[in-house]
Amino acid sequence: MAVPADEQPTLRGITLTRSFSDGGRARNVIDDVTLDLNRGEITLLMGPSGSGKSTMLAILSGLLQPDSGQVLAHENGDWIDVWRLSPREREQFRLRNCGFIFQGYNLFPALTARQQLEIVLRWGDGLPGREARKRADEMLGLLGLGGKENKKPAQLSGGEKQRVAIGRALIKKPRFCFADEPTSALDWGSGQVVIDLLQKAAHEYDSTIIVVSHDYRLLEHVDVSYHLEDGRLTETDVPVNRGFEPWRTGP
Amino acid sequence: MNYSLATLWHERPRFLPGIGAVAFSAVLIALQCGLLLGLFKITSIPVDNSRAHVWVGSPEVLSVDLGRPIQMTYLSRVAGDPRVKEVEPYYQAFASWIKPDGTSELCIVIGTKLDNDSMGSVNQLSPEMRDALTEPNSIVVDKAELRRLGVKGVGDYAEINKVRVRIVGETTGLKSLAGPYVFCSRPTARLLLRAMTPQDHATYLLVRCHNPEDAPGLVEDINAEFGDRHDMSAFTAEKFSFRSRLHWLLKTRAGVALGYTALLGLLVGAVVTSQTLYAATTASAKEYAILLAMGIPRRKVTLTVLVQSFWVGLFGIALAYPIVHLLAYAGQLIEMTIPLPWELLVLSAVVTMVMSMIAGLVALRSVRRIEPMDLLR
Repeated sequence: MAVPADEQPTLRGITLTRSFSDGGRARNVIDDVTLDLNRGEITLLMGPSGSGKSTMLAILSGLLQPDSGQVLAHENGDWIDVWRLSPREREQFRLRNCGFIFQGYNLFPALTARQQLEIVLRWGDGLPGREARKRADEMLGLLGLGGKENKKPAQLSGGEKQRVAIGRALIKKPRFCFADEPTSALDWGSGQVVIDLLQKAAHEYDSTIIVVSHDYRLLEHVDVSYHLEDGRLTETDVPVNRGFEPWRTGP
Repeated sequence: MNYSLATLWHERPRFLPGIGAVAFSAVLIALQCGLLLGLFKITSIPVDNSRAHVWVGSPEVLSVDLGRPIQMTYLSRVAGDPRVKEVEPYYQAFASWIKPDGTSELCIVIGTKLDNDSMGSVNQLSPEMRDALTEPNSIVVDKAELRRLGVKGVGDYAEINKVRVRIVGETTGLKSLAGPYVFCSRPTARLLLRAMTPQDHATYLLVRCHNPEDAPGLVEDINAEFGDRHDMSAFTAEKFSFRSRLHWLLKTRAGVALGYTALLGLLVGAVVTSQTLYAATTASAKEYAILLAMGIPRRKVTLTVLVQSFWVGLFGIALAYPIVHLLAYAGQLIEMTIPLPWELLVLSAVVTMVMSMIAGLVALRSVRRIEPMDLLR
């Protein structure tokens, strides 16, 4: 499918529905939801616990199949129906396009900050060691972690660990970045650094970023915000755009 | 970057049981095989401690102690070959040893030429002993067998097949398995073994070649010429030694027992190693799940687990070797020979490495269970 020149969205969820069995009865966690995510923007998806935010993230990112509906991703001038791809093709799609950030950092305890990033490039893109190392060091520098390349997770603070996790998600310069509660384990200072880094990624790499969170403080840092409750989506107001802020290099 | 090795080092306590299990298996296999080798080396003592290039005996003889008498006329057939320098008759048979207290014991009588150039006399017989053995009805036994034979040592008398014999010397290191070795001259042996060895017969013909390298060819020719007529069978000394050991290994089913023990050791090793790798992979499931979410192929994670199993195997084997040598040395202290030829060490290393890799394959079920979706629940 060709893309109209004025088309803004790069990731579209169209009439998505997903139910789970709840005590023997099917419950719609996502109920006929349609939303568009735009390039270069951060979209915040909020809602109470169990409202289906994470399910929505999983469906949009190609990890969880919806019962019905489509997920269309814009890649190199074409729209790709993510859930029409074979599992192998979907894996390759994610490899080319997706970065993930989760609440729990999930860094390999045995590996240094540099290695956490290198592994993505080497295992994913088959990059040679030297090239991967160079790019990992560049990314760590951008994240304000210069000089901490050889530190293991146990030697890093919570904010630093989350920055390494962000670096791991962004090192491929992904078209789409999915973040699940990226700030909830952090103090607000570190949380602000995280959201600043995501803003920078949205602008710098023209990435489409979706953040799932129940942290209301993020509202003033995002471009679009949705509220999800009982499987239904409503758009919420975001404060007047705060404008683009440069990289911050400290927590 | 070697991720597997970095993880192994960082999580040493987690991987240690696996490494220990591999080491345990390797030690068990190497020592079991070594012990058995040591044990059955005893059966080929007469071959290993003498200097013949070729042994000619009764057709298809299974082991050196099971030779039946062959006709002395065969000697000329063998000696006629231009490659043969010398042929020497040799006597060996089981006999009944009557102790001074009247009880009996099975012994193996070995009667050989006693000259300095003798092929059959074992190396442990000193020139003095060989001199003494020229006296009729004199014998030499091993020091370690004296108690079993019910005698005190040199000067004592006993009876073999109802012939009174006198002990004139004691060897060391020739303890036997089936019955104590009794060394004597050929005339004494003929007398002691008269009932089972007819006149003009010998148990073996020992052959010395002009060129030792001719031995295999000579053996082939003798067997081709006389084997069909069931007159005699020839073996190079090396082959005959191996054949004797193998026969007893299989006949006593010790090989089967060894197989079971080794299998048990391998099973224990495999289970522990597999569980170690499984637990280690499960512990990193979330980290792997992120990589899978980002589209990194599952086979990369699979490969990591297999590489880990390789390292666990390698470290286990490295740990095992000093232990094996230490235990073999300890065995020596209690007069237990545990030979550890390099072939045996390589074999045990290969078997345990294969075990470790199989354990890695079994542990792969942990990789199959990793689901990126779990991170979002």
